Amino acid sequence: MNITVCAKQIPDPANEITYDNGLISRPDEQVLDDTDRYGIEIALQLREKYDGEVTVISMGPAGTQKGLQQALQMGADKTLYVDDDSLKGANSLMTASILSELAKTTDADIVIFGTESTDGYTGTVPQQVARFLNLDCISYIKAIEISDNVTLTRQTIEGSEKVTMPEKCVLSVTAGGVEPRYPNFKDIMAAKQKPIEKVELSSLNMNASQNLEFLDIEKIENSKNGETIIDEGEAYQVVIEKLKELKVI
Amino acid sequence: MKTLILGEVIDNKLSSGTLEIINKASGLGLDFKVVTVGSVESPVLGSSTFQQTYIKRSAESLQFNNVADKLSQIIQEENISLVLAPSTYQSRDLVSFLSVDLSSSPVSNVIDFDIQDSAVITTNSINGGESIYKTKITSSHSLLLIRPKSFDPIDIELNSEYETIEVENSSIEIFDVFKEEKSGPQLEDSKIVISAGRGMVEKENLSLVEDLANKLNAAIGGTRAIVDAGWMPYSQQVGQTGKTVKPDVYIACGISGATQHQVGMKDSKFIIAINKDEEAPIFQLADLGIVGDTLSVIPKINENI
Ligand SMILES: Cc1cc2nc3c(=O)[nH]c(=O)nc-3n(C[C@H](O)[C@H](O)[C@H](O)COP(=O)(O)OP(=O)(O)OC[C@H]3O[C@@H](n4cnc5c(N)ncnc54)[C@H](O)[C@@H]3O)c2cc1C
Ligand SMILES: Nc1ncnc2c1ncn2[C@@H]1O[C@H](COP(=O)(O)O)[C@@H](O)[C@H]1O
Repeated sequence: MNITVCAKQIPDPANEITYDNGLISRPDEQVLDDTDRYGIEIALQLREKYDGEVTVISMGPAGTQKGLQQALQMGADKTLYVDDDSLKGANSLMTASILSELAKTTDADIVIFGTESTDGYTGTVPQQVARFLNLDCISYIKAIEISDNVTLTRQTIEGSEKVTMPEKCVLSVTAGGVEPRYPNFKDIMAAKQKPIEKVELSSLNMNASQNLEFLDIEKIENSKNGETIIDEGEAYQVVIEKLKELKVI
Repeated sequence: MKTLILGEVIDNKLSSGTLEIINKASGLGLDFKVVTVGSVESPVLGSSTFQQTYIKRSAESLQFNNVADKLSQIIQEENISLVLAPSTYQSRDLVSFLSVDLSSSPVSNVIDFDIQDSAVITTNSINGGESIYKTKITSSHSLLLIRPKSFDPIDIELNSEYETIEVENSSIEIFDVFKEEKSGPQLEDSKIVISAGRGMVEKENLSLVEDLANKLNAAIGGTRAIVDAGWMPYSQQVGQTGKTVKPDVYIACGISGATQHQVGMKDSKFIIAINKDEEAPIFQLADLGIVGDTLSVIPKINENI
């Protein structure tokens, strides 16, 4: 079984995000989006059962490839990526179009995603890829049980529901859906030998175009200058007084 | 502008997210119809002021692809150019599918929109609500996923008059449907919300928050960190990927105040935060900040209320 995971390199979330003409500034060194560790973990678990290959595919400036390395360190077998200046500011549909074309080159049976990326968080790319590939989409997976077959638990607005994983499909997994593994020293060394391959944009069909024109970006100032009290044992009284004043008690 | 509002059913009627969008669309004078997707029998969705179609899907089969086919057909036959949907799970799937059919990338996390010179201009929240972003949509179709609580819900009488369409089952069967029990005040409509974060230290300590909530008749929420840790069901998560609340009073107990949490609660009228770290970002939002240990402050509040 060929298992393909879509994973993204993002600016280290520990640093403040900056924008350039409405686009997130991307430093040379980007890291693996934590959200995508969940997808990679599911892929690795499925590989144990079906004995296939796990390919990580990615779109965006490759830079030092740190994030791609991190995906390989977790245990993925190889990486394919597209990095082209013309894709700067690509909307979610363009991203999905490229990822579906990349997924085709891996002959993927199962294509796995996070539900939303940390920087873009449009939360639409997985479903768009499913539609492009004409595959069933099992979204918002919050648990997976692997036995004779694979049972997936989907998060729904009212609770949850279960389905059996079909042979070919797209999955999107929520944070917390599985526990991503940590690579050890051996994994980190092994990753250095694994292939990272660049795919030229010109070799892929692009089935989407830009339709979202950037107008303006504005930072929201949240600083309220509220009252702050350091608790020395009596702060509870201030809270109770305030709740009375607000007529809550 | 011919508009389709993609509605949703909750508790057998139109969800408040849908009613919020209807209000906004009415205010802008858009020519809209509502198409609601759900799996329950005979919900109350109709109205004398707009046209309603109910796409009834089966609760036993995952058939959003088939629903999207039907929606695409309606959009094309009726020359609809604007699709408005709440950014919930179901609508995100459907709008994403539609975006491929209509070759138009959707705008997610929309908090406001307007029509200028027959183009749709959207305002959406980015970076966990830290900044707002304005976009002009240049394709012939515009697809918007709108964050809940962006507008007030419309106050209308609903009836049972609407057309129902059923769609075919898919090969993927759904089983073990689980509905979380709803008891006590609900997050979306409670005047007081008390939320817990990792700063409650252990799951057992949530009983302190529960005691306070009982005393104040408040709803209980939590951060994604504690939902992921299994302290609380997902339905109680507040934030970017959870619920948006706007109560009169929000009490954040041991919550750092990550932007993804803030976006779900920052519009609360009065915010009280209890956190032992003076530097925690939640204090920038708080009207009243208590720098202290949740495990010592909350029990004292409970005893003295
Ligand atoms: C794409 C994406 C979506 C996300 N969506 C959401 C979302 O919808 N909702 C959400 O909440 N998060 C969301 N997050 C996660 C978010 O970034 C934070 O990780 C999360 O909100 C942190 O939860 P927390 O405040 O409970 O934990 P922490 O950040 O660990 O904070 C715990 C706080 O408790 C304080 N503390 C510790 N002990 C005590 C004590 N004894 N007394 C008082 N204070 C104490 C600490 O000082 C600290 O500030 C999302 C993240 C991503 C990347
Ligand atoms: N540029 C990209 N490269 C690889 N995967 C991506 C990219 N953008 C989005 N994804 C995938 O789509 C998921 C949802 O992202 P988003 O739609 O941006 O919220 C992510 O968790 C990834 O799995």
